[in-house]
Amino acid sequence: MTPAGGSAVQAALAGDPVLAEHYADFRAKTEAALDPALVALVRQAVANVHGMGAASIDESGLDAGTRAAIAYARRMPFEHTAISDAEAAAMVAHLGEPGFVAFSVMTALADAECRAALVDLPGLAAG
Amino acid sequence: MSTTPRVSSAIPGEPAHFGSVLAHQPAIAESFFALYGRFWGSDVLAARIKEVARMRNARVTECGFCRNVRFDKAVAQGLGEEVVDDITDGYETSSRLTDTEKAVLKFTDALIHDPELLNGDAKAALQRHVSPAQIAELGLGVTLFLALAKALITMGLEPEVMDRTVLPTPAVLEAAE
Repeated sequence: MTPAGGSAVQAALAGDPVLAEHYADFRAKTEAALDPALVALVRQAVANVHGMGAASIDESGLDAGTRAAIAYARRMPFEHTAISDAEAAAMVAHLGEPGFVAFSVMTALADAECRAALVDLPGLAAG
Repeated sequence: MSTTPRVSSAIPGEPAHFGSVLAHQPAIAESFFALYGRFWGSDVLAARIKEVARMRNARVTECGFCRNVRFDKAVAQGLGEEVVDDITDGYETSSRLTDTEKAVLKFTDALIHDPELLNGDAKAALQRHVSPAQIAELGLGVTLFLALAKALITMGLEPEVMDRTVLPTPAVLEAAE
């Protein structure tokens, strides 16, 4: 199984370099729009929800906005339809509209990548 | 689930929809549409099969927008509404879906819902009907369908009402190649 820090989708596309390059670019552009520390925390939080990843997050030194973003990210895997207008508005206030757009895409992609790893997509694609 | 946009449109004069909201991040938008066009333009896995997986994701994630869109390439490959109607719980007994499509649906359910569904028999069926290269493309597709449906829903971009709409299948833009 691909480690939570890697991309199972990227690994599965090893036989199609063009599609792999497009996917890597999309993933990189999404991450580049956000603070790298936040990206890492969100990926870790989502992986933890899926029972993947080693350590849980130590939130003691984080600001309130970052803690709220982590809490929001934890809802994406199994509670995406229950996220409220108020929770989303808090994220928009913290990140700005462009930041919220990137955050939404990156968090949802992190969830989907964990799921791809859990079905061992790279192993299935390797035959 | 909200049908009130939580993000404004970044394109003057256009309402908030996925494209106009993604325009807040032009680099992400350009990269996504290039990827999505390449994915749908590839014939490693037939568009009909990709659309079957997309329809299943739309129903499981409760994405109303996704559920009401049809891509014309899949329609031309015979994916009529009587087949789409069978992409619901109990699809295993459908007489309209092919064995390949049922194997793809089980994989889709495993990825978006419960990995335990891809048990020995389901995995064997998938590998009997779908080549490794096709599985790679299918996995990419389901990953994107799931992520974009959730992003769309959480950004409040679900339509209050929407008719079934056949759209041109995403394609590679020549200028981007």
